[in-house]
Amino acid sequence: MDTKTDNTPFYEPGGDECELFERAWNNRLPLLIKGPTGCGKTRFVSHMAARLNLPLYTVACHDDLTAADLVGRHLIGDGETIWNDGPLTRAVREGGICYLDEVVEARKDTTVVLHPLADDRRMLPIDRTGEQLQAPPSFMLVVSYNPGYQNFLKGMKPSTRQRFVSLTFDFPTAAQEEAVLVGETGIDTMTAKRLVSIAGAFRALRDHDLEEVASTRLLVYAATLIKDGYDPVRACRAALVETLTDDAETAVALHEVVSATFGR
Amino acid sequence: MEEYVGALWDRLITGAAEKRHAAAAVRLDDIAKSAAIFFRALGGDPGLGISAAPAVRHGARRRLLQRVAGSGEKIELSWRDGEVLRLPSQIDLFAEQALNRDLYFWLVALAAADIDSSLPWIIRNQLATQATLERFPGLQNRYARLVAAVIALRIPPQKLPPDEAAQENAIRQALQYPGTVGAITLAARPFQPVPLWPHPCPPVSAAATGAAGAGSPEQGGSAANKKSRRKHMAERTDAKEDKNGFLMMFRAESLFSWSEFVKVNRPQDEEDDAETAQLAAEDMDMLTIARDGKTSAASVRFDLDLPAGAADDTPLGEGVLLPEWNWKKQVLQPDYCSLQQLIAMDAKPCELPSALKNTANQLRRQFQALTPVRHWLKGQQDGDELDMDAWVQLASERNSTMPTSEHGLYRAQVNQERDLACLLLADISLSTDAYVSNHARVIDVIRDSLLLFSEALAATGDSFALYGFSSLKRSHVRFHYIKGFEEQYSGQVRGRITAIKPGYYTRMGAAIRQAASLLVQQKKRQRLLLILTDGKPNDLDQYEGRYGIEDTRVALIEARKLGLRPFCVTIDTEASDYLPHLFGAGGYVVIRNPEDLPKELPLLYAQMTR
Repeated sequence: MDTKTDNTPFYEPGGDECELFERAWNNRLPLLIKGPTGCGKTRFVSHMAARLNLPLYTVACHDDLTAADLVGRHLIGDGETIWNDGPLTRAVREGGICYLDEVVEARKDTTVVLHPLADDRRMLPIDRTGEQLQAPPSFMLVVSYNPGYQNFLKGMKPSTRQRFVSLTFDFPTAAQEEAVLVGETGIDTMTAKRLVSIAGAFRALRDHDLEEVASTRLLVYAATLIKDGYDPVRACRAALVETLTDDAETAVALHEVVSATFGR
Repeated sequence: MEEYVGALWDRLITGAAEKRHAAAAVRLDDIAKSAAIFFRALGGDPGLGISAAPAVRHGARRRLLQRVAGSGEKIELSWRDGEVLRLPSQIDLFAEQALNRDLYFWLVALAAADIDSSLPWIIRNQLATQATLERFPGLQNRYARLVAAVIALRIPPQKLPPDEAAQENAIRQALQYPGTVGAITLAARPFQPVPLWPHPCPPVSAAATGAAGAGSPEQGGSAANKKSRRKHMAERTDAKEDKNGFLMMFRAESLFSWSEFVKVNRPQDEEDDAETAQLAAEDMDMLTIARDGKTSAASVRFDLDLPAGAADDTPLGEGVLLPEWNWKKQVLQPDYCSLQQLIAMDAKPCELPSALKNTANQLRRQFQALTPVRHWLKGQQDGDELDMDAWVQLASERNSTMPTSEHGLYRAQVNQERDLACLLLADISLSTDAYVSNHARVIDVIRDSLLLFSEALAATGDSFALYGFSSLKRSHVRFHYIKGFEEQYSGQVRGRITAIKPGYYTRMGAAIRQAASLLVQQKKRQRLLLILTDGKPNDLDQYEGRYGIEDTRVALIEARKLGLRPFCVTIDTEASDYLPHLFGAGGYVVIRNPEDLPKELPLLYAQMTR
């Protein structure tokens, strides 16, 4: 089944993730995607939604996200209350994909509403309206989180995790990442190679000196600035070094890597 | 007058001979952290520390002026081994500061290149240079500038005898065109040192030859010595057993030099003039350290510090056998350490010291806000339910043609679950006996921290336990019971906190394993293992440097696998050398001003568990 259209967002597959996604969708299984920030999780989901021709509802999860934010709530109109579907309910009704990005950021009691949807019941009970929505076959629940995220004491509840088919994303290989940079920004191969080499050096610092390392997204930003004619060293400083750290000495070290690569 | 002229002459001639550029000097201390991160970014071993290289005698030909001045005999060259990357303590070779700094980063980049160390020195350096330049094309210009500057400092081949000239030419060619020199014919005299390359035959450090640090006790008293990154070259020797300490075994004339090893059996003697000793040590090529652990005064003082059996804290039951990770063999040695649970025998229940009362009250108030509550907030702009009162009010305002005010029409549920247990493990080794200010020692700061921490946590109702640890080799890891999870915070606990005494060493791995096994029994969703320390893992046997760090690292990995969250709070300012390796970038915090620790610790806890 390939319904790829011209509007499908650019995506460079790193393995068989597209096949897994399609198989999970065909078999009505919810999917959990793990991987560092900016390695292409969100892009992958939008690519697949476009490819499968499904509506996509993306929710960026955060501390204050309540169950009502997902399911919906009563709004007050002129003299009456009107029920308003949340993104999850809408995705269920329309048989689309609901994508909860950084799901561990959401409060634990919020994610409990996902449980009946994520197992074989595929059901969304809406307490306030008394509805029991049965998800149509085309509905799919996709959640993602970043296990390396050092938000102390946060993690995903095992009972929630146990309901998903899981897929780990990591940064693409050097050759794939170069292809992404060239494909996204039209930059020359040599510059793409150097940017990827810088990212490789920064990624060696993962969980040690840097909480988060250079994502493909940040490399795309740097490549975009360079393509626009900005000095490569300064572009990397702005898009990579300063974004990744606030610590002056770490910034010095990262900057040394940049100037060792692009010269000074 | 003669002395004055002499000093003047010395200054003049040394100044002329030594083409150093003090104004442009770059010090290792200033760039060490960045250099370490740079090293790791380039693929260097993340467990390696950075330390200053000792100056070594190179034996090469010097310029005439240097010979007259008697200077330039020694040079600090970089090298790395399994433990540390050594870099010069300062670089002032060039007049341009930027160039001196570039040299540092060049040496780090070269050290990160993975080249077969069995290759001859000249080949190895050329290969490393080529690999580095290929990987980092941006370094090419800088390398060219460095080579030109270094060559300008060297005695030109024309001024050298033929064999040395050939040797010098080969080195110059290898520097300028790396990869073109296959071998070097060594002249009778050693070649001039090459600051761009690592040491040709790095001295094997004492730490690398096993039994690291034996006989180097943790220093109580002044911490000044710790501040220097400079390490002395040292060799190990066996202490001769002098049966009679008062019998002179040597001729007095042989005492002119410090560098000869003389085993003098005089354990009561103490070196009062530590500064003179420090200066003398700076001048030494090699310090000889005996293994008996009794040669230094500090060690003697320490050993006498052992309490007599009867006066020691009460052991709680049998010792616990714990494993230890040997990083050299890469194996976990089962039942390697024996841990004793102890409880302070003479601890009397007591009140909170009056100096802490105000802070404690303040913290208690702040922490009460963290107490678990679940309640509805009315009049919210957003929420789960409609706020009927607000809705009715709005409706009546509308009906009465009064101007309606802004209303939040929802009710939101605030739900703070605090389902967590915290075990605080405090380092109470002898190093905590050091003074951090005129009136407080580290141990005082730790005591106050434990008291305030307990006060604050008692206010939240979070489940917590307090333990202290120290060690004396693997057979005696001391694990002090202060407060268990099941025990209420009380005067008795305060008494035990007040009774803790600093002593012994820091076998951190074993203590972490024991703490983890206690914490894991707590059936809570979040389990936090807070480690409070003032320095690196260390013990009298091989548990020092890399060994101790790697064992601690493995213990922490095990703890994480059990679902615990270890976090370290330290006042060791050099902690950035090793803590990221142990705890990860977000897993530790360094308290810059130790006296702030008592107040900072509870606040940090609040931040982490919010």
